[in-house]
Amino acid sequence: MAGVARGAGEPRMTATVVAADVASIAERVREARATAVPLRIGAGAHWLDAGRPCTAETRLDLGGLTGIVSYEPGDLTLTARAATPLSEIERVTAGEGQWLTLDPHGSADGTIGATIATASAGPLASAYGTPRDHVLGCEFVTGAGDVVRAGGRVVKNVAGFDLVRLVTGSWGALGALTEMTVRLRARPEVDRTLFVRVGGKSQDAIATAAWRWVREGDYRPLAAELLSPSLARRLGGDGDAQLLVRLGGNAAFVRAAADSVASVGEMQDGAVDAWRNLGVSERSGSMVFRASALPAQCGALFAHVASFADAHGGYAHATLARGIVRCVIPPSDDARAISEMQAWLTSLVSTATVIGERLPHALWPSVSRASDSQALAETVRRSFDPDRVMNPGILGAP
Amino acid sequence: MPLTHPLAARLASIVGARRVLERPAELRSYESDGLPGYQCTPSLAVFPGTREETIQVVRALAETHTAFVARGAGTGLSGGALADDVVLLGLHRLKRIISLDGDNARALVEPGVVNSTLTAAASVYGLHYAPDPSSQSACTIGGNVAENAGGPHCLKYGVTLNHVLALTVLLPSGEVVHLGNPEGEADGLDLLGAFIGSEGCFGVVLDATIKLERNPISVRTLLADFSSVDAAAHAVSAIIAAGIVPAALEMMDHAVIQIVEASIYAAGYPTDAAAILLIEVDGPGAGLDDDVARVSNLCTAAGARGVRVATEPADRARLWQGRKKAAGALGRISANLVVQDAVVPRTKLPAVLADIHRICAAYRVNVCNVFHAGDGNLHPNIGYDASDADESARVHAAMSDIMHACIEAGGTITGEHGVGLDKLPYMDALFNENTLTAMCTLRAAFDPERRANPAKVVPVHSCREWLASPVARASRA
Repeated sequence: MAGVARGAGEPRMTATVVAADVASIAERVREARATAVPLRIGAGAHWLDAGRPCTAETRLDLGGLTGIVSYEPGDLTLTARAATPLSEIERVTAGEGQWLTLDPHGSADGTIGATIATASAGPLASAYGTPRDHVLGCEFVTGAGDVVRAGGRVVKNVAGFDLVRLVTGSWGALGALTEMTVRLRARPEVDRTLFVRVGGKSQDAIATAAWRWVREGDYRPLAAELLSPSLARRLGGDGDAQLLVRLGGNAAFVRAAADSVASVGEMQDGAVDAWRNLGVSERSGSMVFRASALPAQCGALFAHVASFADAHGGYAHATLARGIVRCVIPPSDDARAISEMQAWLTSLVSTATVIGERLPHALWPSVSRASDSQALAETVRRSFDPDRVMNPGILGAP
Repeated sequence: MPLTHPLAARLASIVGARRVLERPAELRSYESDGLPGYQCTPSLAVFPGTREETIQVVRALAETHTAFVARGAGTGLSGGALADDVVLLGLHRLKRIISLDGDNARALVEPGVVNSTLTAAASVYGLHYAPDPSSQSACTIGGNVAENAGGPHCLKYGVTLNHVLALTVLLPSGEVVHLGNPEGEADGLDLLGAFIGSEGCFGVVLDATIKLERNPISVRTLLADFSSVDAAAHAVSAIIAAGIVPAALEMMDHAVIQIVEASIYAAGYPTDAAAILLIEVDGPGAGLDDDVARVSNLCTAAGARGVRVATEPADRARLWQGRKKAAGALGRISANLVVQDAVVPRTKLPAVLADIHRICAAYRVNVCNVFHAGDGNLHPNIGYDASDADESARVHAAMSDIMHACIEAGGTITGEHGVGLDKLPYMDALFNENTLTAMCTLRAAFDPERRANPAKVVPVHSCREWLASPVARASRA
């Protein structure tokens, strides 16, 4: 979600404070504590506009924290300030035949800080994992106004308690991320994208055949997304559900993997742009959520979610290797449509894990889950942000 | 002999008198872990046999504000499982594999399940548990979670963190919480990620949902033979930079080769080599031979005298035996051993290895290196005689200089063994006060009384408020 469009029903921002270096961020946070005026962290100005119930009305603008601090191609590590766009990291690392294998949904001006703070991931997570698998170290300003440098710049590190994993995906609720060191990968020798029309009589059968190829076949793709028919059409396919596959490796591997995927359906080469288009294909203000279950249930889950999406003018795609189905529904102000979706989500929550990406305020309660670790999470949050000045409300109640 | 520890009778009523030890002679078995340089005797040891007994024991400890140390197989290499006059909570009897799900490639296990036992059980589905520390035939999943354990194959497959989907955790207060999500994506604060690698300071694992890996279709193990350590280190950098991710990329220097080849674990390594690399490449058949050829060429270009490729399982197993049992072979020649675990950026390997040799020559101590080169994770080992005070002092001074050299090179003090007691003195050199305080803050959320594995991981002086607390004084009393 590093770059989503603005959602509806946001609290109006009444003020913006700008901080372009770590010391002044710490100063702004301490001021926020002293004056009891909570902050809403933002850099690219997108990432909090997900409808998450954040109640702060003063924006802490970190947009000035840009730039790559260091890049060691031989170590496959890079350190950047939080507001550095992913596109800049992509440009700089491409020169060395490397890449940061994080491709969250959203426009290319999404920042590294937002990606890490929201733990946003895209199709490449199938092969390379999510932000928690990429961040080696980070600097953040806690809600107490302290500057903490966690982790390091090496690829393996168990020194001390893992503050890096703690702040990754914490939505700024423990503090503001200011700098991070990430692990890079070498780009594959061959990078090939294929559209595969998977054979099958029903959506469920198609999904199951595609899932088997991804999970049980001999060749692990870099990414494999099963697209509902309407999404396949948008991305240049024809009317059926299609499997969008990205194969990477040496030439012999990619050739053999392509032969193997041909066994599940008719295929044609696609452009690598298909992946970028997948990331930005939703209309501004769309409702977006992800449903997940045990991997073996992914086919049935996809069929269920995709038919709901189709019926509401939306679409769905499944990250088969991870058992996740992402659903996009066009924006609606119609109270009846919202209430129908509310009922449907409530029933879905009883059989799958549902995580909101961008939802109207009214729908957030439908996807919140009770957990016996909630009190512990709240204690952790209070320990790092004693006066609740960092993105209050963003992780839900209280 | 009647039980005399104030808690002994109560704990015996939960687990049975046979499962509570308090005689000094019995407790001596638990005075060390895999690093025999440290000895601490617990005040009492208790061994629950079920999840329910474990919960009752921890609740009894909570009610009496008693400090404790959880212990699995005691194979750790940082002194982390040592109980210094506090209660030792042994979890090795909780060894049930509760369920194995081949379709979804996951397992639900109790904390005392041995690492290689899980792999053996999963093999019927063509699956395995990827983290493979050298102690895998003895170490437990609970201990692996506590230390965020690695092993040679984590270069490609990731460490414990990447293979644990969910945990049921018993907090030191006796409360049971679920972290992560065994059936889908996890949301909210990553408390699972924070717990893994918390070295027993955040609580006790009651069960773990494990993500299993599929067994590779084809595997090749390469043995590359070098006439200088520097050339071997440059080969490592070249392989990583070329974008090949071997399943494992290990280095052993001349001293280790000599010791291994003179032991029952002899693997057929070239005894005149200055260093060897053990490189494993796996995947489907297609493309694998191309990767093998490329790795082989990169080694030759870096100066390898020869590269041997093992394909047959028996040949491969023999090559790995020497690596996996190297620590055991080292134990044969010295009464005491210090093992370090620093990680440096991979481009700094040649320079840091040269530093290590220079430092050890200056202190007149014998170092040997066997380590995970692909990750930059060094394991310099120095054997010595602890009864020789002068030699001991020189060994510890050399290790301290090595650690500081690694930190200066942009590295860290531990990649997989944990801080425990052993690396506590270096935490201040690695992290500033704010960061150490933040670690204390996080720990306090899980264990406000700091009773679980006290005085480990973060130096006590970083937690000033703890020093002043009545609980801290009571736990030392």
